[in-house]
Amino acid sequence: MRRTAPVITAFVTGVVVTISFFFNEQTTFIGQIQSGILIWVTIIFGMSLALGMVSITRVNFNKVKRRQEGWPYSLLVIISVFVMAIPSALPVSWSPLFGRNEGSIYYWLWTRISEPMMATMFAMLAFYIASAAYRAFRARSTESTLLLLTAVVVMLSRIPMGEWFLRLFHPSLPDWINIYIMNGFNLSVQRGIIIGAALGAASMSLRIILGIERTYMGKG
Amino acid sequence: MTVWERIAAMDRRWIYLMCGIAVLVPFIIPVSLPVYTTPEVQQLYDAVNSLPDSSIVMLTYDYYPSTVAETEPMSRAALHHLFSKNCKVVTLSNIPLGGPTIAERVTRELAAEYGKVYGVDYVNLGYKANYVAVMKGLGTAISGIFPTDNTGTPLTQLPLMQSVRNYEDIAFIFVVADNATADYWVSIVNAQYGVPMCCGATAVMAPKLYAFVGSGQLQGLLGGMKGAAEYEQLLGRKDRAVRGMDAQSLIHLLIIVLVAIGNLGYFMGRRAKRGERA
Repeated sequence: MRRTAPVITAFVTGVVVTISFFFNEQTTFIGQIQSGILIWVTIIFGMSLALGMVSITRVNFNKVKRRQEGWPYSLLVIISVFVMAIPSALPVSWSPLFGRNEGSIYYWLWTRISEPMMATMFAMLAFYIASAAYRAFRARSTESTLLLLTAVVVMLSRIPMGEWFLRLFHPSLPDWINIYIMNGFNLSVQRGIIIGAALGAASMSLRIILGIERTYMGKG
Repeated sequence: MTVWERIAAMDRRWIYLMCGIAVLVPFIIPVSLPVYTTPEVQQLYDAVNSLPDSSIVMLTYDYYPSTVAETEPMSRAALHHLFSKNCKVVTLSNIPLGGPTIAERVTRELAAEYGKVYGVDYVNLGYKANYVAVMKGLGTAISGIFPTDNTGTPLTQLPLMQSVRNYEDIAFIFVVADNATADYWVSIVNAQYGVPMCCGATAVMAPKLYAFVGSGQLQGLLGGMKGAAEYEQLLGRKDRAVRGMDAQSLIHLLIIVLVAIGNLGYFMGRRAKRGERA
């Protein structure tokens, strides 16, 4: 039953949602079933976020309890999770410090700690990219030379200083780069990738609906 | 060790220092070079501009705080454009981490500037999990997916939401995203419900979205900070993106120079080795 029930659920849900695509969502019974399923999907997904919070707490709590290497960081994670979550979940009617509005504890912590930290982490990528480009971006073969030249030309065309420089050679050079590289080679390759990915997703969905693919149950 | 070998083995900390200087200097000494408008941005500007005044527009904040340098200028420029045309704005986010908070902060700040009233001129629906189900569900009934707004107020108490039931009442969707939700807005909402839309995306994502501009599913595209700067310039409001372009210019040039030096070091080093062997 533990293996059959999920397969039946996936089959019925997949078939209903696929068939309902061809029916009016508001006026037909099957369309309304689909709307109900979609609401349930958001609820289940929300529950999975709550499950994630339980999991992160349990894993880090065990680490702290056993005094494993780096346990102070785990303690910091637990404190951070609850300091952010509890005040944001408490009703604003109790205090303006609760909830997620401007002036609340959550809002203060978010704008002054979380947001700058996340932006900093991402900004540091620029440093690593520069270093990696210096070390690894080599014209070792014809293909890598083509890639390198294209990257340089596109990078130049994406900055005002580069545009100005390119226009010294020909006033329409940045426009040609946009037409031939971004709207030409890039567009055709991206279309191929998008169509390929969509076909892959469709075949995977079909395998799940028909019960051939069962890895979502944790087993092959 | 030859000079070229020494150059090729340059300590990465020197590169970090150069990057730091390249980012900081333009903020101290701004250059403000002119930004040329690309057709995709012009198309987006024209599409939003051609909307009838007071149209209802959905603006998405599908981005994480890590990419705000690129995406927030797009949201701000979009709101300037929409509020100046008296459009009614419905915002939402498909990102659990920060999306709704950023939407709240940016929209309220810009709304105050234009004297817009919450619930009448704009509404922040907040976040609901699973973007595919959310996008599909909004096509049937917005209140089915978002019974309340971001602050927990029932939609029935918000005058604007009484005239917005589903996509049929939305004139245009302005997607600002730093992830795959942009693809789903196109493949689910534009393809299945026919709602016209445009997209502002990070520079990394933009190349993929050119395919949707080419197919006419997106009526314009802002690619990274450059796209945002072009949009700001078209709006006549040089803001954060235009200011950021100086730093972006220098850092791009620095990377190009580093790649050139790295290759020069590589080839000269290889030639020197060949000479030694001979």
